Amino acid sequence: MTAALRPFLRHEAILFVLLVAALFVLAGQSDRFFTIANLLNQGRLMTEIGLVALAMTFVIVTGGIDLSVGSILGLCAILLGVFWQNLGLPLPLAMGLAVLVGGVAGLVNGLIITRFRVPPLIATLATLALYRGLAEGISQARSVRGYPDWFFVLGQGDLAGVPTQLWILGLLTLVAGVVLGMTAFGRATYAIGANETAARFSGVPVDRVKIAIYTASGLVAGLAAVIFVSRVSTTRSDMGTGVELDVITAVVLGGTSIFGGRGTIIGTAIGLVLIQALKNGLALAGVKGDGTIVVIGLVLILAILASNLFSREDG
Amino acid sequence: MSAAAAPVPARSSALRRLVSGYGQELIILAAIVALMIVVGLYNPRFMSQSNLTSIFAGNAYIAVAAIGMSMVIISGNIDVAVGSLIGVLAVLSGTLAVGGYPIWVAWAAPVVVGILVNAGVGALVAYARIPSIVVTLGMLSILKGGLISVTAGAWITGLPEGYAIAQARLFGVPAPVWFMVVLTIAAAWWMRNSGFGRTIYAIGGNPEAARASGIRIERSIVAVFAIHGFFVGIAAVLFATQLQVIQSTVPPNLELTVITASVVGGVSILGGTGTVIGSTLAAILFAAIGSSLIFLNVSAYWLRAVQGLLILATVLADMARRHRIR
Amino acid sequence: MLKKTLAFALGLGLMSGAAYAQSAWTGGDDLPTNPLACDGTPAAVASKPYDGGSPTNAPDRKGKPLNVVDVPKLIGIGYFNATSKGIADAAAELGNVTAKTDGPTQANIDQQISFIDNYITSGVDGILFAANDPVAIAPVLKKALAAGINVVGYDANSQPDARQWFVNQAEFNGIAKAMIDSLAKESGEDASFAIVTSTFTTPNQARWIAEMGAYAAKCHPNLKWLETVEAQEDNVLSFNQATTLINKYGDELKGILGMTSVATPASAEAVTQAGKCGSIAVVGLATPNAMKPYVEKDCVKSVVLWNPVDLGYAAMYVLRAVADGTLEPGATSVKAGKLGELQVINGSEILLGAPFVFTKENIGNFDF
Repeated sequence: MTAALRPFLRHEAILFVLLVAALFVLAGQSDRFFTIANLLNQGRLMTEIGLVALAMTFVIVTGGIDLSVGSILGLCAILLGVFWQNLGLPLPLAMGLAVLVGGVAGLVNGLIITRFRVPPLIATLATLALYRGLAEGISQARSVRGYPDWFFVLGQGDLAGVPTQLWILGLLTLVAGVVLGMTAFGRATYAIGANETAARFSGVPVDRVKIAIYTASGLVAGLAAVIFVSRVSTTRSDMGTGVELDVITAVVLGGTSIFGGRGTIIGTAIGLVLIQALKNGLALAGVKGDGTIVVIGLVLILAILASNLFSREDG
Repeated sequence: MSAAAAPVPARSSALRRLVSGYGQELIILAAIVALMIVVGLYNPRFMSQSNLTSIFAGNAYIAVAAIGMSMVIISGNIDVAVGSLIGVLAVLSGTLAVGGYPIWVAWAAPVVVGILVNAGVGALVAYARIPSIVVTLGMLSILKGGLISVTAGAWITGLPEGYAIAQARLFGVPAPVWFMVVLTIAAAWWMRNSGFGRTIYAIGGNPEAARASGIRIERSIVAVFAIHGFFVGIAAVLFATQLQVIQSTVPPNLELTVITASVVGGVSILGGTGTVIGSTLAAILFAAIGSSLIFLNVSAYWLRAVQGLLILATVLADMARRHRIR
Repeated sequence: MLKKTLAFALGLGLMSGAAYAQSAWTGGDDLPTNPLACDGTPAAVASKPYDGGSPTNAPDRKGKPLNVVDVPKLIGIGYFNATSKGIADAAAELGNVTAKTDGPTQANIDQQISFIDNYITSGVDGILFAANDPVAIAPVLKKALAAGINVVGYDANSQPDARQWFVNQAEFNGIAKAMIDSLAKESGEDASFAIVTSTFTTPNQARWIAEMGAYAAKCHPNLKWLETVEAQEDNVLSFNQATTLINKYGDELKGILGMTSVATPASAEAVTQAGKCGSIAVVGLATPNAMKPYVEKDCVKSVVLWNPVDLGYAAMYVLRAVADGTLEPGATSVKAGKLGELQVINGSEILLGAPFVFTKENIGNFDF
């Protein structure tokens, strides 16, 4: 592990301690919380957010942001239904095309950001409106329903006793962790976030890396859309509204610096699990939804505060 | 260095100086004028006094909030909790008004509380070194959840006579328009000519250089957020007094609207450049676009896609212009 | 090459979107409509066998205390505050029920599913729901039934087999008739009007708009629909949209139909502030408290709604009856406290009654 990452892993350690403490407290509040069935079920519910958060970690590590992911999710969900029902394509092909459209949407983001030098926040703010608008216009507010039973295996079924989509999330988490932590691509990602100009001068193909990352962000949003449709058995143009804030919260809670250059997939994974555990555990303990939102907001601020205090003592 | 204050070669004409200093503002102004002419020719009612009034007055609170937001963004920060705070302060104002407090208290309290809350946010950003997006993401959750916990979603009705300041008129012009115009001009002048205004540009443009030149960055950031709170408080009062009832939930996506107005208005998200005039013009442009799409009979299903395209076009036009000037 | 292929696919998608069968009015859905007779003759009701679901291995809950959760579409709007109050009233009256309302702050299918899922895990005895989407909510409700939980819907239905009973506030075609008849009466048979709705994806609103279109074509053919605008569940946006409609059509606009309890008072406010009271009729679904100022000033003559407090109240009584085993598949009516006997329709739905039209004379008697 490089020296640059070391102070940062401290955040993951703090977060992990926080997670363990939260699990203990929540398990003490309700005996239904710490059961295999509940935990696996929670994994099912957090898969879509989790998938998008993996790519978002890369995006934020480069110092960028992608606010359009929720809209891409909505657009891909709608197109899955349109490809299958209105164009009469076979469902597997429709699924593949829907994911690819997500990739194209991400590619467009990447091109706007690199070719026109539009700051990512503005570029994706604009495409957030555009992609959601396309979803609404294409769908004409119609839902597509009546998918065949095999399709629901993805979002509602199990594989070896574990929800199907959790396997996908686990696999992609592993891939993302390896790519970000151990490959040249990952090092390029950190280098761009730490100092883009310096990265450019030292020969990092900055634009190509960025385009690849935004395209990947769109692809996973498309994948999340397919899983989401399979989980809820219908498509609607308002699917995924507001997902971007949940995803960014998880990534930032996981210790990825919003200024770029720092962050790990492990951190994002812990951040995700912590938020989902709080949502679920507090509900089981009898806290209402509005109270839970308040707690998550407080945890976000306090976790980063604690991490800052510790790292300052360090240095 | 800010674009507005960038040194201009002496041989440039006055027009050239205006274009380079206020390029984005002029583009947006031109877009507003062009839109009004085109839609006005298509359907003259678009240019009727009542429609222009509703475009300007109905969205003035967004422009007022965008003034504060622009200052925050120019200082190199961001506030994603602005919509939630407006919702909370509007409910506070309405609760005081129906609770029998003098009306001026109901108007002043949101401003004071807005300043205090955002000064707290600024302190967390400046002294605890938590990035502003993190603090305000947290605040977004806390305010939104807290508001529903406290109000249980009940609407505020039976507002007293004389409370609805947003429905008042002065010389035939609705009060929100006055607020928008006066506050924008005052803030623009102040940003450009006061020492503190230049400080905001300096800490957004290059914090290290600002620190080296003796600026106390931490105090300045707290002050910027507090000033933003002042504008949010006024926006909340305008928002609360538009109708006879106050909805006690946070307006959906308001933060995105306000941030979009600021950045499309030419405030660089990287900090250091932009003006509040641009953000106000952008807020007006969006309101005019929203209204004109109905006048142009754009299918309601495609309305948001067209809006998104227009935002993207504005942004790309701006980037193209900047590259040419460089 | 890849890019071209994908652009082509996207283009195809766009075209296919435009090729959808259009309902007569924007914002309506494409399900079959069933307009009522113009003179209000009740349609012959074909009796239908019970098509609801049933919980597996539900424990005997007869007379035992029940722990019930109510998950509406969203919390924080007047309408669901009223249903929640009705549920709480009925729970207090029954004595042996603890009921609580919890739900998302935005009408969001994903969050609503998570809420219900959590309450299944926490082990409630009964779930009351108002679905954001009839299909999307079905899997989690079936999971609740499989866990032996009693499930009853109100306001917005799910697929029938995903719940036991659904308390229907009023039939879609009945609402449509009341709305269009009121509009025609107030603004004239040949009036032009526009609709302000929440979003085009909200199932109840889409159903009402489609039914209104069908009923207007049948019974008031000279009414002229101009357009439908979306305004979320947002007060200020609804006001701005209604104002824009007034500005756009000028004297041509004779009526506005508000499809939600948010859109209707905001439209009335827009008409008031434009000084158009009397020349533009506002007819819509709304709660009486929000409409009193406008009705008292004669700006709005009729407000169409069932009583949402009664709706929640009835839903709670139905859930109790199901848990007690007194309401079983095949029943033709159910006792609901002060509301008396309610009829079973459509196999597994319980009808609250005909929609109610609030006017200046009676609106003062209601407080919700």
